[in-house]
Amino acid sequence: MKPKFLFPYWTRYLGWGLVILHVPLSILGREHGMTNIIDSQSQPHEQGIFAGEHLFFICTTLLMSAGLFLVAFAKEKIEDEQISHIRLDSLRWAIFINYLVLIISLVFIEDVPHMLELNLWVPLIFFIIRFRWVIWRLNQPLKREA
Amino acid sequence: MKNNIRVERAIKDMTQADLAEAVSVSRQTINTIESNKYVPSTVLALKIAKVFNKPLEEIFMLEDGD
Repeated sequence: MKPKFLFPYWTRYLGWGLVILHVPLSILGREHGMTNIIDSQSQPHEQGIFAGEHLFFICTTLLMSAGLFLVAFAKEKIEDEQISHIRLDSLRWAIFINYLVLIISLVFIEDVPHMLELNLWVPLIFFIIRFRWVIWRLNQPLKREA
Repeated sequence: MKNNIRVERAIKDMTQADLAEAVSVSRQTINTIESNKYVPSTVLALKIAKVFNKPLEEIFMLEDGD
């Protein structure tokens, strides 16, 4: 079975690189008075694609999301049917959790812009954690035997 | 579904890694199939049977609950 719509194995490292790169950029931006576009919605700010606020938004939120996306959907070294099965199962759990968080936040939280940001990351982060945890757990008996 | 891959491997003097390489899966997958934690697809089950030169039914057996 050939897996479709997955990135090559090395893109996982590129993804982690983007996630890590997002941290200093985000700190640097905040030090220079930039606020995330979502945080600054109540305040007056520059408009347009090349406005500082928008560029900062791209540098932080999109960099983080693209990084997480690459990490989540990069192939494993040996991408076999069990990995596909775990991937699908983790994706199902991630959607369940995401909708649970979404429904709870819709009922109890009025901060809609931050809910959007939360929804951008929760499924990917939960998927990555669950997927890696299941693989780690399956590897434990092999490590004990070795 | 249970299986006797472990026995067949011992007869053929194969390690989990050898079998994994022969059927193009990870060692972890062979390990979970052997310990009945994962039920392989028909394609993988047929590939494993082919490695041992035995009919599928001699390697994989249905259990009462199946």
